[in-house]
Amino acid sequence: MSSLRQVALSLIAFTFFAGGPVTVGADQESFAEAFRNVPMPDGFRVEASQEGPVFANASGMTLYKWPQHKLRNGYSGEPPGSPACYDDVLTVSAGLMSPYPPGISLPHLNKRKSCVDLWNPVTPAEGAQDIGDWTIVERRDGSLQWAYDEQPLYTSVKDQQPGDVLGGTRRRFGGDAPAKRVPVGPPSLHPPGFSIRNSFNGRMLATERGESIYSYDGDTADSSSCRSTCLAKWKPVLGPSLAREQGEWSLLERSPGERQWVFRGKPLYTYVLDSRTWSQKGSDETGWNNVFTQVADAYPSSFKPQHSIVGDVLANSQGKTVYIYNCGEDSQDQLGCDHPTETQIYRLAMCGAGDPERCLEYWPYVLAGENEQAVNRTWSIVWIDRYTGRFADPEQEGALRVWAYRDRPVYTFAGDKSPGDVYGGGTGEWRGQRNGLKAIMLRDDFFGGTL
Amino acid sequence: MAFCGVGRSTSGALLLGSLLIAFAVQADESRIRNRTISYVMTDLFWSVYQTEDAQNECPRGFNDGPREQFEKLFPDYDSLSIEKTQLAQEIQTWHPNTEPDDFEFFEVEGELSWGLNLDGQVSANDFTHPDGTLGIDNEVYRAVGCIIGFRGPDGVEHIFQNKAILDEVFNRMMIELTEVDSLKNDESVVITMYRGKDRLLTDATGQKVMAGGTQRVDYRWGESLIRRFTGQIVDGVLFTEPIAEMVMPWQNLSVPSVHVFKDARFQLNLSSEGASGVLAGYADVDTWYYQLIRNDSTHHLSNGQISAISLYKALRRLADSHPDPETGNNTAISTALDVRMAQVYIVHPDIKAAE
Repeated sequence: MSSLRQVALSLIAFTFFAGGPVTVGADQESFAEAFRNVPMPDGFRVEASQEGPVFANASGMTLYKWPQHKLRNGYSGEPPGSPACYDDVLTVSAGLMSPYPPGISLPHLNKRKSCVDLWNPVTPAEGAQDIGDWTIVERRDGSLQWAYDEQPLYTSVKDQQPGDVLGGTRRRFGGDAPAKRVPVGPPSLHPPGFSIRNSFNGRMLATERGESIYSYDGDTADSSSCRSTCLAKWKPVLGPSLAREQGEWSLLERSPGERQWVFRGKPLYTYVLDSRTWSQKGSDETGWNNVFTQVADAYPSSFKPQHSIVGDVLANSQGKTVYIYNCGEDSQDQLGCDHPTETQIYRLAMCGAGDPERCLEYWPYVLAGENEQAVNRTWSIVWIDRYTGRFADPEQEGALRVWAYRDRPVYTFAGDKSPGDVYGGGTGEWRGQRNGLKAIMLRDDFFGGTL
Repeated sequence: MAFCGVGRSTSGALLLGSLLIAFAVQADESRIRNRTISYVMTDLFWSVYQTEDAQNECPRGFNDGPREQFEKLFPDYDSLSIEKTQLAQEIQTWHPNTEPDDFEFFEVEGELSWGLNLDGQVSANDFTHPDGTLGIDNEVYRAVGCIIGFRGPDGVEHIFQNKAILDEVFNRMMIELTEVDSLKNDESVVITMYRGKDRLLTDATGQKVMAGGTQRVDYRWGESLIRRFTGQIVDGVLFTEPIAEMVMPWQNLSVPSVHVFKDARFQLNLSSEGASGVLAGYADVDTWYYQLIRNDSTHHLSNGQISAISLYKALRRLADSHPDPETGNNTAISTALDVRMAQVYIVHPDIKAAE
């Protein structure tokens, strides 16, 4: 347990950089999220990642689960305790997304991969025993697999370094998105009554009801500047009488019996005028900031926030909205199709009616400047074959050096003529969620983080 | 003097009547403040003239949707690939063309339509308004009138749009009338369109929007939506001059999109409580089409039997305005939308700060 504590403390010193126009307090910029120490089997550890603390194997590779997800015409993913990712190479569509029926041949059957080709089951060492929420489940061939909270665990072949979370996300996704793989980790170290949600800007703190949490620059752990008329807009987040200080969390006694939660030295508030959950509106008030347990990796310095009628989008240096492509197959194993190592048939259909040249015209890659370098693992520069859409060697003729978000190239849309245009958002199947493109939003006051 | 000989009781009744009329006028004007009255949209949907069982406008029935077309195109789909079937259909949806497909498209065949005479002419292709007005231009109606999803009250587009306009703020459009002397007759008023950023004031059901709410103007993200134009009020009806280009935020199913209307104009019955009537103009065809398919997946379109592939061809075929200078093809299509608004008090931040 003491070694786990050391891990937890060392993670707090792990450095993340502020990115984007999101307003965070200056002292929020260099934190990773603390986590609750939980028993783990030997050979596993916790890594800091953009998705918060995650469990990792001995090599530091992130562990994922594939929870069951309700789709239009049925379910995909794994019910608790029941592995469903095997070495079968699926050949036909599942018909989980209407209106197209099941039984249609999937692409590239001659080189199609199975689920376990892409997702390695995490196998226990000889003689391993259940510990805490870690249990051992049996696969259909009798082999064993680790599960956490009853969900079978996997690593992703996309992850290359400790802390990579290229295989999946904890970001909220709806019933029309694929049944995604989700990084698994220890519980975040926060008191009851709070919750954390992933956003493009980082891991955002809210109450358990989704009310955004804010802090004020002028406050300290021992004093609140928000008194009297200030309280008409700002409601202190109060701890119950049994609340105790722990780690980064402390309590400020505003008046006898009234104790306000303090996180990293700042008393916490909700904003009375917020009309949506997970709002950023309160940060428009001078000196007030949303609270993040960790902020996201910085985007490239050549990118910038851009006002649009939708909110603030991420834009390239010319102010053109930046889009990310999302894809998951309508197969029972819901394999991804949005990464350069995966089939490009779906993307090419959407971006250019199957014609790579039209794709380059309608949805050009965001090219990296000659002198630009990747600044972190989230925003990297990759070489792409301009015709196939797959990774290329730098020496390959016609290869493009492009910006990638989480290893996936980003694009602009030819239909966006002026800075602030977002005419490409929602392009593709299922409103851009399943085989299509969505704008990268930095500030979304209208759609509750669903864009 | 003409009433000198009238009996006392009669004159008393006349006096009372005059007072009641005066009160009524006063009540109708009572929400005007500083010669200003404003309204917020609560309903906005394509004007679709419907008769019982659609026998008049769609005698040959309704159009097939994606699901029906898929079954006809690919009866042996299980021997085919994703590329040849699903993706082929999605490619045609997202990269549409004007080449005829294998499906007969049922346009509206009736003579009546809601809408306005936009071009001031009466031609063979025009509809007649149910009130007898000739020359009604509404080719969007001709294209969508025989598609179930666009028909009220339960067509999928109808439901989603009207739900979104109540529930969401992205599409919170308002008009502010200034220099108003009377809601009955005023030869010149100035109208400014804004986007609001607040929820609507409703009754306890949450469904009926009440007059008297307050809206703050969205200058931050909505500034590009602001338009200013003039109009006149005649017998309680506001007629606005054509607006060169109006951008109307549109939303359903959590995808933000817009419509672009050229030469757009309002014709609204005004009262102190609200406004209702039509917004008519020429919709940019591509914007119209991509709004539809970005907001609705093929699944949602299927629920309304809306074949985007076939509809695009119809929209292009029926487009009747704003020819492309290079190709000569019309880029816009006449249309009308039913509009309802509730009176609202608009708060301008600078004014509020000054106060």
